[in-house]
Amino acid sequence: MQMPQVRGRVAYIFEEADFDVDQIIGVKNIKLKDPAELAAVAMKEQDPDFAKKVQVGDVLVGGVNFGYGHPHYPPLIGMRHLGIRGLIAESFSPGYWRGEVAQGFPQVACPGILKAISRWDELEIDWQAGCVRNHSRGTSLPFEPLSESDSLMIAAGGIIGYLKATQSEDKHGS
Amino acid sequence: MGSTITEKILARASGQALVRPGDNLRVRPDFVVSYDFPGYTDVIFKQMKEEFGMSGVRDPSRYALFIDHMVPAITPQEEDLHQNTRDWGRLNQVPVYERKGIGHQVASELGYATPGAFVVHFDGHISQLGTFGTLAIGVRRHLVEAFVNENIRLAVPATTRVDLVGQLQPGVMARDVFHHIVRVLGAAGCRAQVLELGGSVIDQMSIDGRQTITCLAMFTGAVTAIINPDELTLGYSSSRSRIALDPVWSDADAVYAQRHVIDVSALEPVVVVPPSPAHTRDLKDYIGTEVQVGYLGSCASGRIEDLRAAAQVLRGRSVREGFQLHVVPTSQEIMRQAAAEGLITDLVAAGAFVSSPSCDYCFGRIGVMSAGQKAVSTGTLNVSGRMGSTDSQIYIVNAAAVAAAAIEGAIADPRPYLR
Repeated sequence: MQMPQVRGRVAYIFEEADFDVDQIIGVKNIKLKDPAELAAVAMKEQDPDFAKKVQVGDVLVGGVNFGYGHPHYPPLIGMRHLGIRGLIAESFSPGYWRGEVAQGFPQVACPGILKAISRWDELEIDWQAGCVRNHSRGTSLPFEPLSESDSLMIAAGGIIGYLKATQSEDKHGS
Repeated sequence: MGSTITEKILARASGQALVRPGDNLRVRPDFVVSYDFPGYTDVIFKQMKEEFGMSGVRDPSRYALFIDHMVPAITPQEEDLHQNTRDWGRLNQVPVYERKGIGHQVASELGYATPGAFVVHFDGHISQLGTFGTLAIGVRRHLVEAFVNENIRLAVPATTRVDLVGQLQPGVMARDVFHHIVRVLGAAGCRAQVLELGGSVIDQMSIDGRQTITCLAMFTGAVTAIINPDELTLGYSSSRSRIALDPVWSDADAVYAQRHVIDVSALEPVVVVPPSPAHTRDLKDYIGTEVQVGYLGSCASGRIEDLRAAAQVLRGRSVREGFQLHVVPTSQEIMRQAAAEGLITDLVAAGAFVSSPSCDYCFGRIGVMSAGQKAVSTGTLNVSGRMGSTDSQIYIVNAAAVAAAAIEGAIADPRPYLR
């Protein structure tokens, strides 16, 4: 299985520590399910013109303990609908991390990332080298190695693909 | 070099002699526990059938389903969800427990908190089984793996050890201790690690208090919390455990990612101010803040010692006119005991609205607030919209402080009422 290619502009930087992702769409929209509706309400607080600026392939950058609180799935569903294809943060809250990795969303924890990038820089997750490359600055920064299951899940596009890809092996092993 | 209790449990459950943080394991959960909730259990049942052609689980006694949210149902759709859960359980011989209380508590009462066992759930508050030396982790949507396969893949987490020392002052409860830990360690202080608790304060603490603290571990960033078993918890679990397992303990020379010693002698009651569980403050700085609603309950609080504290505050006094005090014991077992002790009588006489166990007050399904209202709560969480309007606010306090606020209609120090 191959890891998905993640290379795109930094569409937004969530600098705040312990950022609660529900704020992306606002708690009052948390029960929305339709990706297009979620996309329509996303980022209104942070950057009202976000939907106009973002393009398919862009990435997000987060701060320390990104995803803290009681994370729900709809905010990132909306962001993916807008074209976001990856997220790089200083570190992640484990509940959020697990939830999005189960959706196959490419994420890496990359300590120091906030100081190494500016908005609209072009970043790439280099899975092979284990680093995030900033093509705008010509710099790179190592990310924390993923666990075996997290890698498999991201490569398989989510938990169902991962279970299908590994099931024969697990049956054999058990 | 010794091992932590977590490493020992994961070593046994993965068939290894020794494991270390970062090791990628295939671990066989001793129990797979969940409550029915849209997007979780219903989706898992569907995925098993449609994606994997599975009709059931291999060893049904390893699985337990609880119906504790949306109890009682208020829409036909909710009842459909519950009926689907009952049908699935019956078809697959998996026990379904309903109307016994909040599953995370009932799981302990029914012996799923076997010391030394490894348990998974989708909900992180299952961490409270750690009270009994059980390693219980909330894995969100990864739970489907435990339904489809016998083993799950898991990287061994590192452990942070926190020793609580000193002497708690009267009127300071386990709830205050937990939120003080968040204040000291920070919201990411134990991020992605296991929070192992010990020290003289834990040794002297009731099972109820330990369950409160371990339940809330996620707000330190931890994946779960655990306490090495002692006479008290082994006594509780010995007659209830569902499987024969040797309890395990951390070695004296176990290796921890961090160690903290927190002296709680000077700790006073705290309040966690909206809208984040990271916002621990001193209660005394918020005294007089008007509140209209009080909620005493949840998987974190709502146990007998919480009910005793609230009854002590309210005995012979009255809930202020117009104040809504909801008291929801965490389980039927607890409610029965509260009734036997006369606590329900005291609370009702004072004007409390006492309901049977349910998760529903905690997540804003019933008893909701409108815009501008404020609550004191022992619920798990104080984020916007958790208990109604996104423009209402939740102040988390201990059970006695909920009762004191119900008397005064404002955030109040419970200690004068406890003397």
